[in-house]
Amino acid sequence: MQEQLDKALEFANYRQSFAIQRKTLKEKIDAKLTYGFSGGIFKIDRSLLNFVEMLINKGRTENVVLLDVNDNPILVEKLEAFRDEVFDRYFTATFEYLEEYQKIKKSRSVETLLEV
Amino acid sequence: MNRGVVLFAHNNRQVDYVRMAILAAKLANKNLNVPVSLITDPSTIDWAKESKVEKSMTDVFDKIIITQRPDDTKNIKNYHDGKSKTPAPFTNGNRYSVWDHTPYERTLMIDTDYLTLTDNLSQYWDADEDLLISPRYNDIQGMERTGYLDTHISETGIEMLWATTVMFTKNENTKTFFNLVEHIKTKYRMYSDVYRFNPMLYRNDIAFSVAKHIMNGYQNIDEYCLPDIFSTADRDVLVDVKDGRLKFLIAQNNTDGYVATSVSNKDVHVMNKFSIMRNYDKLMELAQ
Repeated sequence: MQEQLDKALEFANYRQSFAIQRKTLKEKIDAKLTYGFSGGIFKIDRSLLNFVEMLINKGRTENVVLLDVNDNPILVEKLEAFRDEVFDRYFTATFEYLEEYQKIKKSRSVETLLEV
Repeated sequence: MNRGVVLFAHNNRQVDYVRMAILAAKLANKNLNVPVSLITDPSTIDWAKESKVEKSMTDVFDKIIITQRPDDTKNIKNYHDGKSKTPAPFTNGNRYSVWDHTPYERTLMIDTDYLTLTDNLSQYWDADEDLLISPRYNDIQGMERTGYLDTHISETGIEMLWATTVMFTKNENTKTFFNLVEHIKTKYRMYSDVYRFNPMLYRNDIAFSVAKHIMNGYQNIDEYCLPDIFSTADRDVLVDVKDGRLKFLIAQNNTDGYVATSVSNKDVHVMNKFSIMRNYDKLMELAQ
């Protein structure tokens, strides 16, 4: 029984480390998806990416007003350049997220988690 | 508009803030790619000469501004190092003077125990806001260890801002703000009655929170702010730095135990200053 209890406590310890690592990783990626542009601050998420792409598809490529995280209006003179930048940042961040998340998931001990 | 980082360092007998400032400056300079200046005092400079870090100071700092040491000898706090603690003067009551001393038009003021390991704060240089402060403490373990007094200045008080990172443009509005912070420091007991906080220890976080509350017309306003302060508490221990990773033991709330974790490529506020000093050389390698 003692051996089983020790194993359970060891697993609990691992799960706590796992939870902290995952939280820290998520916040790290969130920070990478924050984009300061022309006095505003944008959160690069699916909603922004879709909206920008939709505007471009509708032919609205210049002098477009976007609302930022504080709902402040920000003028984007060249929307395609803005789109390229936010897509680039999004893919860079999410690929990093995937790579590091997989490392965390594969780590089965506190020791290996610390190396992620 | 020229930009730069400003640090304050006033040593006490227990904590060598100036060495921590050299580390924080090197990291900020490398990752934010802006100059860093130091505000300090004659006795701290004397100690820097004695401990032979003067050359490192002149190498890393854009400008070294020597000012009068604030009289905070009665402002004593316990500096924790894991489970042990050491009382020492908490000498940082002159942060309001940053407006007068900063050589930059747009300034980021950070604590010396704030390790800038990314360029995330660069996103805020051009934000259309004169003054940005971090609105939240973000404990490494999450909300479990975050108490009400980490988020509010008292049990019945306003929300707490964290003066660990403050960015501002030098203009009349921010001059008024920093003058107000000075006034609150001078009348700290009176403001503690009005805002119902504990006046025993002067805290910039509280003075900045009250000043911002007043300047915002006694209300919360939707405005740009700096990211949450990702922090490890002073009860936590930085045990090693290897391959760009900071390895911590995180103290548990309900037991005497610790949980191990690591942090990389993320700005982190390491409140256990003694553990920064123990890992100083390894941390300096991150700034190379």
